[in-house]
Amino acid sequence: MSTTLDAQKKLRIKKAIIISALTLVTVLMFFVCLFIGTTEMTVKDCFDALAGKSTYINNTIILKIRLPRVIAAVVAGAGLAVAGLIMQTTLGNVMASPSTLGVSNAAVFGANVSIIGFAGGFFSSGRDLAGSINTFNPFAVSLIAFLFASASVLLVLALCRLKNFSPNTIVLAGIAIGAIWTAGTTLLQVFATDVGLSAAVIWSFGDLGRVTFTQDYIMLGVVGAALIVFFCLSWRFNAMLGGDNIAKTVGVNATALRVVGLLISSLVTAMCVSFLGIIGFVGIICPHVIKRLLGHNHVVSIPMTALMGSLLLLVADTFARSISSGIALPVGAVTSLLGAPFFLFMLFARRDVKNV
Amino acid sequence: MFEIRDLHFAYKKSAPVLNGLNLSLEKGEIGVVLGKNGAGKSTLFKCVLGLVKPQGEIEFDGQNLQKISRVERAKLIAYVPQEISFGDLTVFDSVLTGRISHFGLMATKEDREVANRVIEELEIAHIANKNVNQLSGGERQKVAIARALAQEPKMLVFDEPTGNLDIQNEKLIFDIAKKIAKEKHITILIAIHNLNFAFAFGDKFFMMKEGVIAHTGRADILNENTISDVFGVSTKIFDVEGHKGIVFGG
Repeated sequence: MSTTLDAQKKLRIKKAIIISALTLVTVLMFFVCLFIGTTEMTVKDCFDALAGKSTYINNTIILKIRLPRVIAAVVAGAGLAVAGLIMQTTLGNVMASPSTLGVSNAAVFGANVSIIGFAGGFFSSGRDLAGSINTFNPFAVSLIAFLFASASVLLVLALCRLKNFSPNTIVLAGIAIGAIWTAGTTLLQVFATDVGLSAAVIWSFGDLGRVTFTQDYIMLGVVGAALIVFFCLSWRFNAMLGGDNIAKTVGVNATALRVVGLLISSLVTAMCVSFLGIIGFVGIICPHVIKRLLGHNHVVSIPMTALMGSLLLLVADTFARSISSGIALPVGAVTSLLGAPFFLFMLFARRDVKNV
Repeated sequence: MFEIRDLHFAYKKSAPVLNGLNLSLEKGEIGVVLGKNGAGKSTLFKCVLGLVKPQGEIEFDGQNLQKISRVERAKLIAYVPQEISFGDLTVFDSVLTGRISHFGLMATKEDREVANRVIEELEIAHIANKNVNQLSGGERQKVAIARALAQEPKMLVFDEPTGNLDIQNEKLIFDIAKKIAKEKHITILIAIHNLNFAFAFGDKFFMMKEGVIAHTGRADILNENTISDVFGVSTKIFDVEGHKGIVFGG
């Protein structure tokens, strides 16, 4: 018995060191991301501003401009990363991502309908730019994007019910439905004005700069609830790694777990995309890094993938805001720039290729 | 006692796989299921494990398995498949997944103790923290058995558990299974392709043909005539100091 327990103790210490280091780096990065920007402020100025005790301008920059986007990076990063992990587990597909069910494509279509069709508001003609300014509603775009994304998820799951939620069917149906939304977006853009087209394209760039505190709170509530549910189901997700038959014979309702996992992951993704635009690769990079560092046990990998997602978006956002003076690059582009090389590394460097 | 009565199942109505199958095993007995590919062995196991819904009755100690919950069934019957995936879990975590039917949301100290105990029993403590994907076929199969034993079942179902193993590991897995049946009094239902291992391993034999048990009985039921009937091949049975074996041809 002692051999097993000693080895387990050593593994626990190793994991504890990695977890502590990752937590520390994420907390540090939270403040780095909050304090770095084009405005010159000392660290003391930043802490004072965070407490609301600096100048009006400094307080405004830290509390009203940077804090909402840093919170968004933490929350959306966690949500998208864990959504990716759960998609990969429930579909038994290492390449599954938060958008596997066509969520992002549907959200982009919804946003395009809102921006091009209604100029961002509900009642504007959309082709009347002057009129659109009066009716523009910043929440309308997110709301319509979310409604389309949610409808798309429900449509894919409803269709897959006919095939008893087979993982391959779900992936293929997601690709097919996603392609329909993309085609719809292209058709809409053909008829858009130059301004409408620009606005729609810029909307789809993942960008933390547009987020408000209200959106932060909504995301925090939804992502927080999703993480709690996923964590409670950790051991059931572990059982699914052995395939449906094994999961069922150890007492897990694999089909119900797959539907719940996919539905919650997709709704979290739909919400993040609706508020922030498309932020790619977070849901693929982070689960794989954590699986390599700490293994696949969901009891550990769910919270740590969330932390890794937050860290990646914080780093990407800091990079996006620091690389060029006065211009903030869309964070979605930065995560993709980081993600593509990682993807290639993962494809060609894994020793246990058969399990990829 | 494990008993199956008048079991029927079809994936498509026009092509039934099981046609009124009957089978019974006493506690601690090893029942070997033999038959050609497509005879319905895997489907029979799926029925026993609750992976498909057949018509007929499947009982364990008088309890109708088709009327109990998935969790209750997992406490009665565990499964060791031919090839198993564990994701990137460690051996210990993989074995602990066998405890899911016993714990609510998170594994308790008692569950960890059970997992440690079966890991020690199967002599895989030295690899307890290794990723299962890094293990050999024989070691992975031992982990699969450990996970099944962690369920603390009264019956084990092995679906050709040594199909991908060399002869040394094949014997090792059968020896482990035999020890489990005799020492823990766990009933075992197992599909085996190798007839020589079947002779050495089984207590009772079920020879399947076209979805029914065509021949059943103790080792003497495995003879040239029944083997020819079920597998369509000519064989000779030999006996060396009480150990039966089989050669092809003749």
